[in-house]
Amino acid sequence: MEKKKCVAMLLAGGKGSRLNVLTRDLAKPAVPFGGKYRIIDFTLSNCSNSGIDTVGVLTQYQPLLLNSYIGIGSTWDLDRKNGGVTVLPPYSESSEVKWYTGTASAIYQNLNYLRQYQPDYVLILSGDHIYKMNYETMLEYHIEKRADVSISVIEVPWIEASRFGIMNTNEELRITEFEEKPANPKSNLASMGIYIFSWNILKEYLEMDARNPDSSHDFGKDVLPLLLEQKKKLFAYPFKGYWKDVGTVQSLWEANMDLLKEDCELDLFDSSWKIYSVNPNQPPQYISPNASVSESLINEGCTIEGEIDHSVLFQGVDVGKGSLIKDSVIMPDSIIGEDCYIEKAIVPCDVTIPDGTVIRSLEDEIILVTNDMLSGLKPTVKQS
Amino acid sequence: MKRKLLGIIDATSYQEDLEDLLIHRSLAALPFSGRYRVIDFVLSSMVNSGIRSVAIFPKMQYRSLMDHLGSGKNWDLNRKRDGLFFFPSPIVDNHENRIGSFDLFAANMDYFYRSTQEYAIISNCYTIFNMDFKPLLESHIHSECDITEVHLKDGGSMELYLVKTSFLIELIKSRHLTGYTCMRDVVRDPQSYYQVCHYLYDGFSVMIDSIQTYFQTSMNLLQPEVWKKLFLKEQPILTKVKDEPPTKYIKGSSVKNSMIANGCQICGTVENSIIARGVIIGKGAVVRNSIIMQKCVIEEDCYLDSVIADKDVKVEAGVHLSGTVQAPLVVRKGTKQGALMNS
Repeated sequence: MEKKKCVAMLLAGGKGSRLNVLTRDLAKPAVPFGGKYRIIDFTLSNCSNSGIDTVGVLTQYQPLLLNSYIGIGSTWDLDRKNGGVTVLPPYSESSEVKWYTGTASAIYQNLNYLRQYQPDYVLILSGDHIYKMNYETMLEYHIEKRADVSISVIEVPWIEASRFGIMNTNEELRITEFEEKPANPKSNLASMGIYIFSWNILKEYLEMDARNPDSSHDFGKDVLPLLLEQKKKLFAYPFKGYWKDVGTVQSLWEANMDLLKEDCELDLFDSSWKIYSVNPNQPPQYISPNASVSESLINEGCTIEGEIDHSVLFQGVDVGKGSLIKDSVIMPDSIIGEDCYIEKAIVPCDVTIPDGTVIRSLEDEIILVTNDMLSGLKPTVKQS
Repeated sequence: MKRKLLGIIDATSYQEDLEDLLIHRSLAALPFSGRYRVIDFVLSSMVNSGIRSVAIFPKMQYRSLMDHLGSGKNWDLNRKRDGLFFFPSPIVDNHENRIGSFDLFAANMDYFYRSTQEYAIISNCYTIFNMDFKPLLESHIHSECDITEVHLKDGGSMELYLVKTSFLIELIKSRHLTGYTCMRDVVRDPQSYYQVCHYLYDGFSVMIDSIQTYFQTSMNLLQPEVWKKLFLKEQPILTKVKDEPPTKYIKGSSVKNSMIANGCQICGTVENSIIARGVIIGKGAVVRNSIIMQKCVIEEDCYLDSVIADKDVKVEAGVHLSGTVQAPLVVRKGTKQGALMNS
């Protein structure tokens, strides 16, 4: 197999339980986002746009949809003769089936995949985040710093720092300490879950970690602290730009709403850094004579007869006459009947909302519409 | 089906009346309905009907057509066996619209000899329709006719023919003896020795042969009962993927009765119009009864009525352009419409 300078490993096995019904049948990286994408499109497109052509995607939880979505990777131009995208599910060995018990164990169990390419560097990514980033620039930084590991970090508001994994660094940005969700953060540099390892270090420490029966085999909890303890050179790579973890219904909704800002930091229209996604092959959207659309993102295949205000509509959504959709996200192929009122809600894929339904939050909380709700089981939905 | 039917698309056609839109492209590659090219309709119909081998006979100005079709991947025609074939015409001066010229086919006889499909469908490249060819094939086999010609319900020929591949080879080989130059000659000869059957098609079908039909057909698609006949969920019209984001409606936009493709950024007013992929419509601009093609930029406070703006047209701030519904104003590809030019 042809030698590769840098191979990416994308952790896509997460369950994302806080996304509730959105992740009942699919892994978190496959959750729809931004009117036409799935979350994983951002990381895969970043790889493709950064010139990384060898990507292992580690799947575990509900992989069916994710596997067929990734296919042979042609959507992201990752169908290559050498390298390309490879889906790496857990597998059984002669003695036992080895589930991925943590992020580090997932990579450890696929060291043979990496060995095929004899990489100099391994880029470890997670498929849970929305951002645009040039990994090549980060790799140059890693090489320039002669680092063993580089960790991409972003400045978060101090008030929120205790929700993140925080990196304490010296003035050269060498990491001196790593604290997971510290009560009293000493820095506001949060780890973005993006690591570049020099291959020899990765191999050595993953093998070491695998032999440790007390380890939970997680990069953040086990491997990084061990590297720090052994005085390895860990550098923080400061990233500036839009980055969002969309792990909760609230943050997923917020990230969608961010796209509607006129000066949105995440520019989907920048043709030099396109975000690729599987094309649904639908006709252009149709806006009827009585419809009204304002401050919204609407994808192909939609038929709009009602009023859309400050919302994100995925492909194939129908909105009937007299309905008002406000501050909401409507996922693919959902049908909104006539005279409905939907405010601050996420409607998952393939949901049919009957005529005259009113969905609005009594508290200031985002409603995730479920079929159970629609059959009148939850009190948050008032049906008129 | 895949073993049975060959698809043959004659993409050599040209229409004088569409000249302004055909300077840089062939008729087959004419943009239509915001995100398609006219050839997408016949090609998708073929693929959706299970056809796995399609031969396209293009003529000069085929750069844009080749760019559009590429390896055939978007139609799932990038296959190891069969797939998409191009046979550019060596005949340069033929401006007659003879669908399925036998001379053209004769220059590429090997394709017909090598294909294992028993039947062949020969089509023009400029009909806007979405047809399932399976019932047509069944009808042809059942009728035992030599040629089945598809007609519209009102009687006009759709210039779409179904024959046995072996029969087509005979027609091509004997063209100098019979004097038949194309399929139309064969079916129109009252003395013809062959049995010709008609198959009636009652779906949506329009042949794009002039600016008027182009404009009118596009506008008719704004009626839901019309576009629902053309855009069927089970038989999607496939086209080249552009990876554009969803369309963004910016504060102050007003859009009514329009078809909007992806990747647009709309600040102004759009009514009764078709807006293609990646168009920018500035603040205060008004676009009515118009067709705006890919990547056009309509700057602030423009006013456009009954205009066809070809790809990459830039209309500078404050410019007014209007045609009439009978004679829409065509703005040529890549041109800039400045305020000075217009005064």
